[in-house]
Amino acid sequence: MYDVVPDQGEESKKDALTVSQALHAAKTSLESFVVTVEGEVSEFNNKAGYKAVYFTVKDEHASMPCMMWANRFASAGVNVQVGSLVRMTGRFTLYAAKGRMNFEAFSLRLAGEGELRARVADLARRLQAEGLMDPQRKKPVPKYMQTIGVVTSPRGAAVHDVLRTLRRRFPVARILLAGVPVEGKGVPQNLMRGMQAVAEAGAEAVLLVRGGGSFEDFMPFNDEELARFIAAFPLPVVTGIGHEPDTCIADMVADLRASTPTAAAEAVSPKRDNLATGFDNAARRMKAALGATLQTQASRLDLLGSASVFRDESALLSANALKLDALSDSLYRSIPQNVKRDEAALQVAQTKLASFAERAFQRENAQMQQASLRLAAVGKSFLEPRRSQVALLASRLNDLSPLTVLSRGYAIAYGGEGNVVRSVSDLSEGSSVSLTLVDGSATCTVDSLCKTQRVQIDLEEV
Amino acid sequence: MSENSNKVSQVPVEELSFREAMNELQGIVSGLESNTLEVEESLLFFERGVSLLRSLRGRMSDAQQKVDVLIGELEAADDDGVVDTTLHKA
Repeated sequence: MYDVVPDQGEESKKDALTVSQALHAAKTSLESFVVTVEGEVSEFNNKAGYKAVYFTVKDEHASMPCMMWANRFASAGVNVQVGSLVRMTGRFTLYAAKGRMNFEAFSLRLAGEGELRARVADLARRLQAEGLMDPQRKKPVPKYMQTIGVVTSPRGAAVHDVLRTLRRRFPVARILLAGVPVEGKGVPQNLMRGMQAVAEAGAEAVLLVRGGGSFEDFMPFNDEELARFIAAFPLPVVTGIGHEPDTCIADMVADLRASTPTAAAEAVSPKRDNLATGFDNAARRMKAALGATLQTQASRLDLLGSASVFRDESALLSANALKLDALSDSLYRSIPQNVKRDEAALQVAQTKLASFAERAFQRENAQMQQASLRLAAVGKSFLEPRRSQVALLASRLNDLSPLTVLSRGYAIAYGGEGNVVRSVSDLSEGSSVSLTLVDGSATCTVDSLCKTQRVQIDLEEV
Repeated sequence: MSENSNKVSQVPVEELSFREAMNELQGIVSGLESNTLEVEESLLFFERGVSLLRSLRGRMSDAQQKVDVLIGELEAADDDGVVDTTLHKA
């Protein structure tokens, strides 16, 4: 080791230290004690491939260059940015080549707001580990909500951003507003009370919004109780807290996170243009579909209409007519067949009958001829004696005829009334008598009557 | 839409919520596009769809935003020239 403080007495005769010796002496004394320093990061340089990160920490009056070996910085796991308040433990050291002093940080963490952030990050990790941020437990936000709950400060731009956005996009929705203070004490409790109120009033979802502010302003939205309340809330919760880069625990456990109040309002309402386009599309598609249906039916109708039946009404009957023709044809064909068949049967019957009749006649004929021969013989023997008897009787009959009597000179007298006069008593003098003779008649007047005695002649004696 | 997809709902259009009307309209459109309807059904679907559309468009153009303030007192916005929101305590 060199002597750090040279002997005064030997100054003249002993040579001065080399630069290296001096810096080495300084480095040794600087590195002999370890300190903890807190300050704001004013420059930060973390280049890939470098063995260390280099940054500057300052306060109002002074600043000091710092470095931290890259592996140590990585294991600290701190997100250091310009403006971060950091607390680091380390020692001063000298970089001999440039004669520059550095503070070498062994460990580093965020201080102040940084510490708050670290606590928030820690809570976020715990809640995440519990599954409160799992995507699958996030409830979908209903479309076209009739009633939307809004929980925010009743003062300031945020509430009006939300109302204006909803009015512009979807005035159909009724807004249930819980205007609660978002600054000061008990903000998480106020927010929970507001959410409860809008839920009880019938909201379908809740917008939890706040305008921009500092990190500390958002701290109520990093509250663990509020986070658990949001996660367990029965309605979908949509957050719009602060502005784009700000993220708080409420955002992480919410069902939907929007970056700003306006964005949150947009997230729960349909875009007016889209809605109008949707209506137009629905109208167009309905018309097209109906048109297509009618067109299809019209085509089918045309097809049917062009069928022969409708083009030529007689075609409707032609099928039946053809059938009728076919039937009558077969009928006509079947009738002669029957007749022929029957004719044949008839002929057989006729032949049978004829031969039968012939045999029957022949038999009868023979009998009849025998009978007639016998009859003729009998008749001859019977007729001969009768014939002479008839001739005798006929001559006697001729003798008895009045005409034969008249021819012998007798006359028949008829009275005035045409009656045959049998007695003179039938006549009177002067009456008219008609006499019938053999060859004519004469009318006579009775001159006188003379009754004579009747002579009885016995004919048997003649 | 009823379970029978070939039947048109009989519920008066005014009684439907916006969402119900939107959903029914969607069903009507896909029903018409399904090509499974008789001509008479298609006409009924179309008719229903048209009244749904008319109602929905009317609601969008005629609606006045209603705000029920459950907690706190809403301050008028500085940047709203005319405050047309209907404010009334619930």
